[in-house]
Amino acid sequence: MLRYTGKRIVTGILSLFVLATATFFLIHFMPGSPFQSGAVSQQVVDALEKEYGLSEPLISQYFSYMGNLLQGDLGISYTEPGTGVTEIIGRTWPLTASVGIAALLTAVITGTGLGILRAVTKHRAVKSVISAGEMLAAGIPGFAAAFLLLYVFSMKLKLLPVSGLLTPAHYVLPTVALALYPTAVICRLTGNSLETELRKEYVVFARMKGLSRSRTVLTHALKNAYLPVLRYLGPAMAYLLTGSFAVESIFNIPGLGREFVNSITNRDYTLILGLTVFMGTVVILANLLTDLLCAWLDPRTRRSISGDI
Amino acid sequence: MSTRRRTRKNTKRILPRLRAVLLTVALTAGLLTGCLQDSGESADEAKEITIAISSDTGTLDPAGSIALSWLSYAPAAMDELLTFDENGEVEYRAAKSYEVSEDNRVWTFHLREDALWSDGTPVTSEDFRNTIERALDPASGSGYAVYLFPIENAEEIYNGEADMDSLGVETPDDDTLIFRLDEACVYFLDLLRLPVYMPSCRTYADSADSGWDKNPETSLSNGPFFLKEYVPDQYFVLEKNENYWNADAVNLDRITFRFYADTQTMASAYEAGEVDVATSLSSTVMELYEGKEDLYLTEQIATRYIYFNLNVEPLDDVRVREAINLAVNREELCRIVGEDTEPTYNLVAKYMKDKNTGEYFTDGAEQPFEENVSRAQELLAQAGYPDGEGFPVLTYRYPSLEMDSDTAQVLKEQLKKNLNIDIELEAQELQMNYSSRHAGDFDLCRMNWTADFADPYTYLSMLLSNSTYNCSGIRDAEYDSLVEQSDSEADPVKRSELLHQAEQLAVGEQFYILPLYAMKGVNLVNPDITGITRNPATGGLEYRYADVSK
Repeated sequence: MLRYTGKRIVTGILSLFVLATATFFLIHFMPGSPFQSGAVSQQVVDALEKEYGLSEPLISQYFSYMGNLLQGDLGISYTEPGTGVTEIIGRTWPLTASVGIAALLTAVITGTGLGILRAVTKHRAVKSVISAGEMLAAGIPGFAAAFLLLYVFSMKLKLLPVSGLLTPAHYVLPTVALALYPTAVICRLTGNSLETELRKEYVVFARMKGLSRSRTVLTHALKNAYLPVLRYLGPAMAYLLTGSFAVESIFNIPGLGREFVNSITNRDYTLILGLTVFMGTVVILANLLTDLLCAWLDPRTRRSISGDI
Repeated sequence: MSTRRRTRKNTKRILPRLRAVLLTVALTAGLLTGCLQDSGESADEAKEITIAISSDTGTLDPAGSIALSWLSYAPAAMDELLTFDENGEVEYRAAKSYEVSEDNRVWTFHLREDALWSDGTPVTSEDFRNTIERALDPASGSGYAVYLFPIENAEEIYNGEADMDSLGVETPDDDTLIFRLDEACVYFLDLLRLPVYMPSCRTYADSADSGWDKNPETSLSNGPFFLKEYVPDQYFVLEKNENYWNADAVNLDRITFRFYADTQTMASAYEAGEVDVATSLSSTVMELYEGKEDLYLTEQIATRYIYFNLNVEPLDDVRVREAINLAVNREELCRIVGEDTEPTYNLVAKYMKDKNTGEYFTDGAEQPFEENVSRAQELLAQAGYPDGEGFPVLTYRYPSLEMDSDTAQVLKEQLKKNLNIDIELEAQELQMNYSSRHAGDFDLCRMNWTADFADPYTYLSMLLSNSTYNCSGIRDAEYDSLVEQSDSEADPVKRSELLHQAEQLAVGEQFYILPLYAMKGVNLVNPDITGITRNPATGGLEYRYADVSK
């Protein structure tokens, strides 16, 4: 287990290195400059590029960047002079993460609840309503849901605020918009695998032994049925913690997703790289965490990764 | 065995845990509703407004890299030496008077003795020089440094070829500021509204990247409001500056500017009553709010046009350029593109005023040309392409913004119908489009120019042979000499005439560009707010003397 974790961490670091290298060259091959805008003369652009070392050969820029990166220095933003990339991440990530975690919790709780209900209910109507809702939530793109929520709850009913994250009430709509899709997926995964599980013999046996229905479902069947959901949580967590550009733009949340897209539009090289490396780390860690969690919970996975079957 | 036992123990805990989770959710929901009911009440009676503006970009350091944030901050917080009101009259701000030498080369400004920074210390001529010196260091990242180049040795200092001591800016005493120019510059007063000519307090404003500009402790202002709070990407708050020399004329106590990356969200925030003013909205808002008091249109001092690349055949032929200009139906184009556009046949912004007459500058001369499809077809035939036969396929590069994409489609359609020529459309990301344009890598390229200062020179100088914005290979000695003559022509009427001649030559005779339309700014303003003024150079809204009745 320890060896497995160690191996995963080493591969993770290697992936980050490749990611940083590829991103570095790709962004420098993009036409444009961080200092070019509609109204800045070429003379100024040239002077600035020289000042910031962008007129040096690409390869030496690469080595100096990687050298700094190894020391944990992500450099300063070109379009926000005097502000470090770390500072920008420190400012934007808490906003993205707080909405992301709220959405993740919402999705896990409601998704699991509805999934169980769908699997155990005897009423066809309940089953159909949940299935339909699931399809709808999985099918509506996040930005469309966001606009719809905004229109109904903020503009028509005037119940919830439109923009920013100033009070807890501001969290409601973006959280719901972000949680819709993962909720649908979790509901489907839980429902489907619970249904399969419930048909298995051990469930029948447990019921025969006189165990109550709720206890059979919640303790025995759900435990086995929940593994696919846990595996899905890694990617879901990574998605929610790196921020959605659409949802952040619509609810005017100055988070990571929006910053990332803006940095590309602005050709803010250091910021693009810093955010890429950071998001890469989050994705790798989220996946590692779920794998370890699954291994810890499921002896089969554990054995397969330790190699002693 | 042990695992199974553990599982059983765990399962016993599940139900209480589930109950705990449900309870937490219920409590949180209760909390949220509580907060909802609390918000919206405000305790103090202060007069304040909230304004929605575009994304947080650029610094608040006048010598630094300026973008959108400054354009909201400065008109309320900073006093330039002097400015022009909407009627073109001089309005003294940080200065109380000025003199200019006969040759228009030495400009002397006398500052107000009672002008104070927001911390109560006096504003001195050294504070103005502070901005200029720092802006002339390329490390500051000022895009406006080029507008300091009329000053003696400024360009040399910027390029590292001269010493700061040789700069033509003198500060004989605290209240006197003298500019010595290389050559006569009759529009010098118009430049004074640019950030590089604004003061920055010597005590704190040391460099463009020390962060003094967004820290309320060190970010001093010499205007009606000062920076109280700054939360990057979210909002900033300005409060009334009681030390301002004209504080009695200021009505508001507080202005909050909130950043919005998306204009749709901005409009929703206005609709929901979260902000009192929403700026730079899309033209669809015009239809939604038609006839309502909230809709507030401004005339943008900007022209959207297309560059012909003169190094590409057959665009080097003036007859071809004229044919294309005459074949475009701008009325139809504007009907399709949006209600906020209006056809233009000039390079100088349609809504820019001529300070001598108070009228629009472009109305001071005949329209450079008239659309005429049959004449266009004739010209094309004369150029060797009767009915578009043998005319090569030209590529039009434009940014992939909604308005520009619509424009491109209409142009393609009209040129096919009227001249039977084909245009290939190539939408590019905005930055890519800038690059292509700067590199001269295009046949036809979209261009948009918003005035930097309120003088036609900001437009006409772009087509000079040595201008960095002249990306289409225009080399016209006659044009250059007309514009250069206007530089030193002290008589405003004669100067105006020279500028009109230059524009007629470039747009109406040589057809160097394809002018398309002028734009209106679409804003929503709470009808309770009065006293909003418009900046004559950019057309932007200013709130320094605004008031609100509740």
